[in-house]
Order: sequence, then C-alpha cells, then structure tokens
Amino acid sequence: MTEKTKIAIQYIVLIFASLISVFPLVWMMIAATNRSVDVIAGKLTFGSRLFENYQNLIANQDIYRGFMNSVKYSVLQTVISILICSLAGYGFEVYHDKIKDGLMAVILMSMMIPFVALMIPLFRMFSGMGLLNSAVGFILPSLSTPFLIMLFRSAARSFPIDMIEAARIDGLSEFGIFFRMFIPTMRSTFAAALTVTFMNAWNNYIWPKVIMQDSKAQTLPMMISNLTSGYFTDYGALMLAVLITTLPTAILFLALQKNFAEGITGAVK
Amino acid sequence: MKQKIGLNQKRNLFGWVFLAPAVILIVVMSFVPAINAFITSFKTGNGADLHFAGLTNYLRIFKDAVFIQSVKNCFFYLIIQVPVMLVLALILASMLNNRKLRFKGIMRTCIFLPCATSLVAYSIIFRSLFAADGFVNLVATKLHILSEPYNFLAHPTSAKIVIIIALVWRWTGYNMVFYLAGLQNIEYSVYEAAKIDGASPLQTFFKITVPLLKPTILITAIMSTNGTLQLFDESVNLTNGGPSNQSITMSHYIYNQAFQGVPKFGYTSAMSFVILFLVAILALVQMKVGDKRD
Amino acid sequence: MKKKLLSIILAATMAATVLAGCGSSDSGNASGSGSAAADSSNGGATADTSNAGGSGDNTLTVWTWDPNFNIYSIREAEKIYQKENPDFKLEIVETPWEDMQTNLGTILGSGNLSQLPDILLMQDFAFQKYAITYPDMFTDLTASGIDFSTFGAGKVAESTVNGKNLGVPFDAGTEVACYRKDLLKDAGYTIDDLTDIDWDRFIEIGKDVKAKTGYSLFSTQAGSADFIMQLVQSAGGEIWKADGTPNFVGNDILIKSLETYKELFDTGVMATANDWDSYIATFTSGKTLGTINGCWIIASVQADENQSGLWGLTNMPKLTGVSSATNYSNQGGSTWVVTSNCKNVELASDFFAKTFAGSNELYDTILPGAGAISCWTPAAGSSVYSEPIAFFDGQAIYAEIADFGAKVPGFERGVYFTEANTALANVATNIVNGADIDAELKAAEDTVNFDMGN
Repeated sequence: MTEKTKIAIQYIVLIFASLISVFPLVWMMIAATNRSVDVIAGKLTFGSRLFENYQNLIANQDIYRGFMNSVKYSVLQTVISILICSLAGYGFEVYHDKIKDGLMAVILMSMMIPFVALMIPLFRMFSGMGLLNSAVGFILPSLSTPFLIMLFRSAARSFPIDMIEAARIDGLSEFGIFFRMFIPTMRSTFAAALTVTFMNAWNNYIWPKVIMQDSKAQTLPMMISNLTSGYFTDYGALMLAVLITTLPTAILFLALQKNFAEGITGAVK
Repeated sequence: MKQKIGLNQKRNLFGWVFLAPAVILIVVMSFVPAINAFITSFKTGNGADLHFAGLTNYLRIFKDAVFIQSVKNCFFYLIIQVPVMLVLALILASMLNNRKLRFKGIMRTCIFLPCATSLVAYSIIFRSLFAADGFVNLVATKLHILSEPYNFLAHPTSAKIVIIIALVWRWTGYNMVFYLAGLQNIEYSVYEAAKIDGASPLQTFFKITVPLLKPTILITAIMSTNGTLQLFDESVNLTNGGPSNQSITMSHYIYNQAFQGVPKFGYTSAMSFVILFLVAILALVQMKVGDKRD
Repeated sequence: MKKKLLSIILAATMAATVLAGCGSSDSGNASGSGSAAADSSNGGATADTSNAGGSGDNTLTVWTWDPNFNIYSIREAEKIYQKENPDFKLEIVETPWEDMQTNLGTILGSGNLSQLPDILLMQDFAFQKYAITYPDMFTDLTASGIDFSTFGAGKVAESTVNGKNLGVPFDAGTEVACYRKDLLKDAGYTIDDLTDIDWDRFIEIGKDVKAKTGYSLFSTQAGSADFIMQLVQSAGGEIWKADGTPNFVGNDILIKSLETYKELFDTGVMATANDWDSYIATFTSGKTLGTINGCWIIASVQADENQSGLWGLTNMPKLTGVSSATNYSNQGGSTWVVTSNCKNVELASDFFAKTFAGSNELYDTILPGAGAISCWTPAAGSSVYSEPIAFFDGQAIYAEIADFGAKVPGFERGVYFTEANTALANVATNIVNGADIDAELKAAEDTVNFDMGN
C-alpha cells in the first residue's frame, strides 16, 4: 500500500463517519424550517416556515429565559465540577498511597448505583437542608463525578514526576504546581473534560426537574419536554427548540477542539 | 527515593486537601442516600406504606421474568456495543491524530456531534429511519437486500440491534474525544521514530497507541460498561422496551416500577443494588487488568 | 488564539474557587444558611419558592401541562375568577405528566408532602392509583361547596373513592372516529356508511377500501393496549374481578376485543405505527384514511390546514356479537386535584365552584379556544357546541361529541391500571405475531398478579 492510498483510506473513513454523524443535525435544521406535518412525514428539503416555527415556539415557551437559565446552571456546574474533580484526580495520582488507591475504587462505586434509587433519599435530604428550589440544590449532586476524577487521575499519570520535583526545588507550592504547571500542560484533558461536563450539565434533566418546582427556573431541556407533553405536538417548533439546545455544546466543542490538535504537548517536552 | 520517604508521607498527607472537596461531595451526595436506599431495599409495600420484610425483595428479583429479561438485554448490549464502539473510537482518534490529514477540525467536530444532539431529535430520526416505510427499508429493498420491508422495531433481535447502532452512533465520538486528549500526552516524535524503524500503521497502533492510551481506555471501558448496564434513554425513546419487553433495560424497568405504575420503592431499590453489584464486578475485573502503574 | 480561549476558560475556573469553597462547605455542613449564600452568589436569580405559598394568600400554585389546552383553560378560569377577586392569582408550573409522576413519586416517597403544589392536574387513568396508594395527598372536596351532581356521573366516579370526591372533573376523552371524506368518496363510501356499525362491517368496508385505494382505514400505536382498553370499555367490559385481581383469562369481552384487534391487523384494515410521532403521521399525511381515538386527537387531525373541509367525524364501530356492545368509549381525560398541602382550601374550592363547576362563560371560551370538551353537564346546552366547524366541512362536531359522551359505558380502571395496560400491550404484540390468545392472557394475568405482589 502506498502512502497515498493509506491517506485516501483514512479520508474515506473519516468523511463517511463525519457525514453519518452530522446527518441528524442537518435534519434538525431542515425540520426547523418545515411545518409540523411535514416533519413527521419525513420531508428532507428546507421549507419556509422557520419564522412561523419561531413565533409558535416563543408563544409556547419562554425560550430566552430557558436559555439563560441553562447557561447559568451549566457554567456554574462545569466550572466548579472541573475544579473539584481535577484537584482530586491530581491528588489521587501525585500523592497516591494504598489508602488513596483503595478510596478511588470505592468512589468509583458511587456512579454504579442507578440514580432512580438515590432520588428519594436525596430529595428528603435536600428538603431537610432547605436546598429545594435553589441553584445549589440543582448542581450539587452532579459536581463531583468519579468519571472526571478518574480522567484527571490518568492525565496526572502522564505528567512527569521530574517536573514536579524540579518545581518543588524551585520553591513552587503544591497548589502552585497544580495551577501553574498541571493545568497548562494538560489542557487537552481539560478541554475534553470541559466539553463533556458542560454537555452533561446542559442536558441534565431529571434531578433539576424534581428539585426546581418553579416556572422561572425552567431550563431548555425542561422546555423541550414541555413541548412534547400536550395533546398536539408542533414538531417544527420542537425541532427549532432542539436545534437551539444542541448548538451551544457543538460551538463549545468547535472552539475547544484545537486543543486536541496534534503536537501540543506543551510543557511536557 | 528511600531517603525522601518522610517528606513523601508528609506530602501524601497534604494530598488529602486536594481530595477533600470531591470525596466529601461524593460521600454526601451518593453514599449517604445509597445507604438510605439500601435500607429501603429490605422493605416492601406500596407507596409510602413500607415495612421491613427481610430479603423478600431480593428473592422476588429471581422470580421476575421481566427483570431477568432486562439483565439479558443489557448484557447483550454490553458485549456487542462496548467493544465495537471503543475500537471504532480508537481508530477514528488515531486517524485524526495524523499530521498529514487536513480538515481535521471540522471532522473532529462532526464526529463529536452525535452525543451533543438532543435525544428528542435523534430518537425521532432513528425511529423513522428504521420504520417499516423508513429510509433503511427503502434502500434495502431497492438494493434487493430485503425482498419486502421489515419492521425492525417490531422484532426482538432487530430492535436490539437498532439500539446498539444508535448507541454506537451516539457515543463513539464522545469516547474519541478522550482518546484524542490522551494522544496529546504522547509525543509525536515517538510515532516518527516508529515510522523510521519501519513499523506498519497496524504495528504502531497496537505497539504504541494502545499501550500508551491504556489508562484512558480503562476509564472509557468502565464508563461504557456502567453506561450500558444503566442504559435508559434509548430503551425508553427508541423502542419503549418493546416489542413486549424484549429490548427493555434494567434502569428502564426500575423506572417504570418506581414511577409509572403503583410505586414499589423497596423493590426498585433492591433491583438498583443488583445493578451496582453487576457493574462493580465488571469494573473490578477491568481495574485488575488495566489499572497498574508501570 | 486557541491558547487564549482555553486559558480564559481556565481562568474562570480558578475565579470560581471562591464559589467552589462555598458549594463544598454546603455539602459538608449541611447548613440551611448555605443555600442563602449560594443563592446570592448566583446573582440572586434563584427561585422564590413557588409552592411555599409565600407570594400572598390569594396565590395558588398549579402543576399542569400543555399551554394550548390545560394551561390555557385554567388561565381562562383565572381571568373569570379575577373579575370578582382581583387579587387572585395562579402560579402555574408547567409540568409534563411523565415528569409529574416522577415528581409525585419522589415527594410522596420521601414523605415530604409540604412540597406539593396547591392544585395539580391528574390523568384519569392514574387517579385511582394515587388515591389508594397515597390518600394523604388529596383534600376531600365532598363538602367543599362544589356541586358534583352537575358533572357526568361516569366522570365523577373516576375521582371518587369510598364516596369521597377527591377531584374536580376537567376534560373528557370521548371516543371519536375521524375520516377523510374525500378519500372515502374515492373508494365509494361516505361517513354514514361508517356510522353506527359493528367491527365486522367495518372490516368488510376496510378490506374494500384497502383493495381500491391501498390505504388502511385507521392506525394504532404498536406496543400499547390503549385501543384494546377502548374496545373493552365500549362494550361495558371489565378487566378486574370483584376482589381486585386481574380478570383476563376467560373474559369474553376482552377476548373478543383482542380477536377484533388481530383481525384488523391481519387484514391490514388497521395499520400500526411504532411510536407516537409516526402514529400521528399516518393520518395527517394520508397513509390511513382516518383515526379512532379520544376526542383530543382532533388537535392533531387539524394540524394540516390544507386538509380543511376534507374531514368528517362519527362514532366508533361496536364489538360484533356482544350484547352489551355500544359505539361509544373513552380514552384519556383528566381531573383537577386540590392537594392536602393546599394553603387555602376555601379559596381553591371557591375558584373551582365558580369556574370549572359553575361557569358557562369558561366553557364557551375554552371549547372553541382549545377544543376542551366539557364534562360539566350545563355547558353542553351552550350554543357554542352547535357551531359548525369548517375543518370538518361544517359539521357541528362538538355537539356530536357531547352526545357521544353521554352514552359512554362506565369503566373501572383500578389501582393497577398501568400494570394491566402494559401486560395487555404485550398480549396484543404477541398475538399479532401468532401467539395463542388464551395462553397469552394467562401469562399477562400472572404478570399483573406478580406486580401486585400476589
């Protein structure tokens, strides 16, 4: 196989995967411009109803408020979550000992219990603490996740111990090493973590819905659920709402994806 | 190393400061309610009227044909979907790490998109694609792969396969992102060197990429195992567990038992701990195989 | 550039250290003051607790769904009530039914009933489940001053437990059959040919129509037993024995309903759709000639304005060879509940007494506005009901639906309706694939018994 054939095969595979992946997004865009009946009839060409769908959507749901609520909660959750979990992941690896390794395994178990089982005790606890209908109650259960901790733990594993030692000799504090060296070096991991944490926060649904019993606190996923709850579903407006909900995560990824580009090994060298 | 042990121990003690917020949160947000749920799992009764009944709920599980079916379904999904998805993600990630290719940014974004796509939209699309008069049947009959349209979602095996296809479609890009991030921690010069040594792409993949990504692969494997055994969205939205519970997942069944019919919170808690048990065993095996410091 | 963006985001992460400290100390201390601190850090935009009734004595919190139907209707009721009580206000929290089940389950399961709203809307099929399992969540409205005798008796029975009225009836789901008159005409039939007939005649016509046009007459959603239940109810059948256990095996009406279902399926007179969206698409995009369902389906029938004037409405066929068979049934419908957490039961009762249980004006507004068919008997006399509807070629459909509604046989849904529905859905799925009806009914009965803990 020549070098050119290899490249060609890679292109074919990647382009094929890209097309399959992007199809539903394109379909959503098309659907957002069509009448409800055409959407479910499977029409695959752009229509002229975007404006009407938008009008129907904003008449039905306060999308602007939902968007702002979603942004607020997601940013809050993402930022705090990444901070807490990266610190922990780093700590688990750099300062590892038998107890911490064992604790990591125990912590891992916390994600294996279906949330359905935890909802009622959590609700009882939160109402006891007076955290119902609060932003804290909203984000608290999803702030610390074993997944993120493990992700940062494995990133820390490829963070050279020599660098840490050198920094210590230079007089950098332990937190200084984390913030000034680990974060910049591991920005590909941070970018990945940021994207998926934001996405999970953005799409978070069941718990927020249970704990936020206030019409002013509704997020975009709740509004999408509202749109499908009636006797009649306007699929054109629904797809527009779904599109609006999907785009922020996509844009965030697009903005951050350069951090996955080859060769940024940064300070590791 | 040895003369530093005293200092290291001191540092390792300090390390708890790094862990504290995350560990406290997990203990309070997961373990405290889990203990609560564990106690509930020994109670029976409908609604709020619960009383202790020993192991009744756990014994009941073995007689519950639907739950047993859901366990089988989840393992079917797990065995096929997780390996396919992870291998695919690895392949795509290593291709997208090739310096010679162009337009990688847009292709990366495209392949990542499915997991960001709203469930509402993608389930409508997948259901219509695989409907009796859907796109897949149209193409298959045109190409004479099928002699007549086949209602994929109305038959047990094909419904399960549709769920697997949907899962692979949705989560491959998600896992790829972590591999891409992990690959950045491998110096590109290693690849260059391998090439000069005459290694084939396949050899490079198995000898360099896979071993160096091992920690990341372990995480994604544990996560996907957990995610598949707790699968909920696809079962609810694509097939609604049907036809006649043949594609229902454990979490879907638990949810139905907790919130759709007459609530049986003791029983649903017991089933939840069965899931915990199953995932924990698999994760333990994966950790034993993959989580070693070299 | 790329470095800059990420470093900005990471800087934000660090800036949030303060926040994080606050968040984690909350969880650690479990103190009530923590929430206040975090609220202010969140720009003070956090919820004022809607269900604490704190916004004044004349505000009631309502959980309901569908801005075009239920929310619209109760908003209209609010307007009417506000004429006499200007400071009355409803705080409506839009909550889809599925989510409400989750919310109710969580609240009731945690025993923290103070988190319930003042009023909520409940699907009729789930009413008995909640009434029996969580009797504490309801306020008994029997002596509230609401005149329940002004509602249809069958509808009131859905929300009555042990002689106590636990809800205010809202909309009905009277069964209707809607057909495309233009397509019927192509096949040589009219709406009259499909009126007051039995399923044998329906299948005969259906086969002919299918042969001539290729279309099925109507469709159902696969994996659902709703249609089976509609058939059973239309003949006044039952699915429960007197002792509350499932009555499936040897239940003649149920067996006849399942046989009819299978024949409709086998002959292709009935199409099946895998899910709700494609079910709606079958009749809006002309893949079937019509639909048979609760009258709320009309909202979806009317989705395509290009089909205006092409539709006609009539009653459903009745079971053949069953003496108690009728052409009338019901699917869906809902009832308002005043919860036990209601801060002002007197106000809530008065509100309902003067609106949903006492205002012609309300029903005259929400019928044309939302297509909400009243269960309040005096409303049926209103002239609004006899208005011709253009979409249905000038047919006065609401008068007809009200007339059908009065003839619907009663139906005991029972506490375990959802379990029975799921089990029978599996029966329906399996028999069209060739399984034996009696064996399947036995299996379904075992499943429901198992779910009931027997």
